[in-house]
Amino acid sequence: MRRVFLSEYLVLWLSLVYFAALAPFTPGFASWSNFQTILAYLLPLLVVAVGLTLVLIIGGIDLSVTSIIALASVVGGKIMSSEEGWLAGHALAVPAGLMAMLLVGVGIGMINGFAVTTCRIPAFIATLTTMMFVSGLAIWFTLSRKIGGLPPSFVMLGQKLWIAAVITGVATWLAHVTLARTLFGRWLYAIGHNAKAALVSGVPTARVTFATYVLCGLFAGLASILFTAGLETGNPEMARDNLLDVVGAVVIGGTSLYGGRGRVVGTVFGVLFLALVDNSLNLLGLNFYTVTMVKGGVILAAALLDAMRNKFLARG
Amino acid sequence: MKSLIPTFTKVLSLMLPAAMLLSGCGKSPEATNSSGEKQLTVGVNFETLQTEYWVAGFEAIKSELKKRNIQIVESIADGDANRQLQQVRTFVTRKVDGIVLVPKDSKTCVPAIKAANEAGIPIVLFNRPAAESPDLKLVNVVADNRTLTRETVAFMIEQARKSGKKHKAMVIIGDLGDINAVGRKDGFYDAVKGNEAIVEVVAEVPSEWNQEKARAGVVNALQANPDISFVFSSSDFLFPSVVAALKSANKYHKLGEPGHVILGGFDGDATAYQMLVDGYLDATGVQDVYFEAEQAVQALLDALAKKSGPSMILDPGFVIHQGNLQEKKSRMWGANVVRK
Repeated sequence: MRRVFLSEYLVLWLSLVYFAALAPFTPGFASWSNFQTILAYLLPLLVVAVGLTLVLIIGGIDLSVTSIIALASVVGGKIMSSEEGWLAGHALAVPAGLMAMLLVGVGIGMINGFAVTTCRIPAFIATLTTMMFVSGLAIWFTLSRKIGGLPPSFVMLGQKLWIAAVITGVATWLAHVTLARTLFGRWLYAIGHNAKAALVSGVPTARVTFATYVLCGLFAGLASILFTAGLETGNPEMARDNLLDVVGAVVIGGTSLYGGRGRVVGTVFGVLFLALVDNSLNLLGLNFYTVTMVKGGVILAAALLDAMRNKFLARG
Repeated sequence: MKSLIPTFTKVLSLMLPAAMLLSGCGKSPEATNSSGEKQLTVGVNFETLQTEYWVAGFEAIKSELKKRNIQIVESIADGDANRQLQQVRTFVTRKVDGIVLVPKDSKTCVPAIKAANEAGIPIVLFNRPAAESPDLKLVNVVADNRTLTRETVAFMIEQARKSGKKHKAMVIIGDLGDINAVGRKDGFYDAVKGNEAIVEVVAEVPSEWNQEKARAGVVNALQANPDISFVFSSSDFLFPSVVAALKSANKYHKLGEPGHVILGGFDGDATAYQMLVDGYLDATGVQDVYFEAEQAVQALLDALAKKSGPSMILDPGFVIHQGNLQEKKSRMWGANVVRK
């Protein structure tokens, strides 16, 4: 028991216990079709969460990820839509749309990185401002309208579950390898532990921080592709209410809000745990108010357990 | 990464027997009623419960289902289209017999409708229609926003005509991504057309269904046009913002008092009812939420019985004003909210 409690896979064990405990009372929870439902919900959230994990490890925060998703969604829609797209019907519509969605993420990531490193604006304020500006821009760009008529070859990316799983899997694996195996990954932890010490030790902190925000934006752009394809709509409000879910999942997965600690695998478990809780509460058919309270309570309990585990580990 | 492999092996060795054991437990139990027939289960999913209208609609549907001895499974998407899609899919997993859905908007609901169609589960969209598509099988139950707004504004124009003077008007419009908001805007201009000698529209305030934006817009419009004396709000839930702005401009007076601004709205919520009772509101177009709930449930039952019916059911609603308040208030959902 002690081994499980102190294991770095605690959140995974919690997810399994939760699954096993609820399955007998939750109709359909252990079915194949429900597994697909959970996966479809989890994949885009995981991609955003992985990007955010990198930023949190350097002790930063990116509040603009959901607005990047929204802007990329409508930009992609405006390019590809057969109803109102600039390249409607063109053979290059989908590649151009995909590229533009990723570039939106990279561009806003660069703005965030520039604001944090060159202008030395605290990450919270810099990305909060970007979030407000970009959200407004997405709404202005479409005048609040949703963009339909997306090409089937694009929609397939979010609706064929195996394609979305491959995209998410590759992105997550690359982030994991970058963090665990490369010098860049070690620099991220060093900056998160102590940015000044890292600088003195020869880590190019400004460049690394800048690159981390760009990567986070890129992941948000990629997530936007999955969200937009899954809902078959370019939406200026896409993922607007997902920010707390994403931050919650990353933190539950063991990433510290103060930087220097965190793993991509932990984030995978955090997102899985949140998705399981959300899905089971839906299947139970509880009323809205109960669902909100239970969800908050379960997440709080998981976070408390993780905090206790870290305290034990720190004591050795 | 290597350390993960044994861990995942252990995890899988735990999950597989658990899943096998539980696969029999995961099936939805088929409830039966007192006469031994299978009891129907309907999934009700609302995009939000943030306004009184949606709460009233939610309660009306649940009450209609209970009345017909139908089990209910409910979920609320809390404004998130992605979560809503997941919730509809969980209804499919639970093998519900029918789905009543208030979509986030007309386009993002399309995959959810497809999921229900593929599973052969009838689906009814309540109060917010889906984008037209020949591939989708569904029934829309919606208020006739355009006609009801036209009738409400026509009543307001009649009051303006009786005052014997020309009025400058302001219209507060909703989120134009919402087809209901578009219908109400069109209905307003339908009524004004041909009556320009009585009502001149000088301000159009976009609210995006946001009270703060509405308030700021109304304040700005009143500053630019202090002689505005005719205001139509595309939803009653924006009245607190409108009233606050009118009060700060010293323009909030009862009917019959000097300086009264002719005021109208749409929905029939509790605030509008109270304003009618207190004598500040001229008229509002009431969505007959009980009619819509009854029609939504009936459409599901008809689909289950393989009866063909219309794919669009319109709620004509009614205009409520000082003259018919006592007679009509029992069908005004906002009045019932106040009574509760």
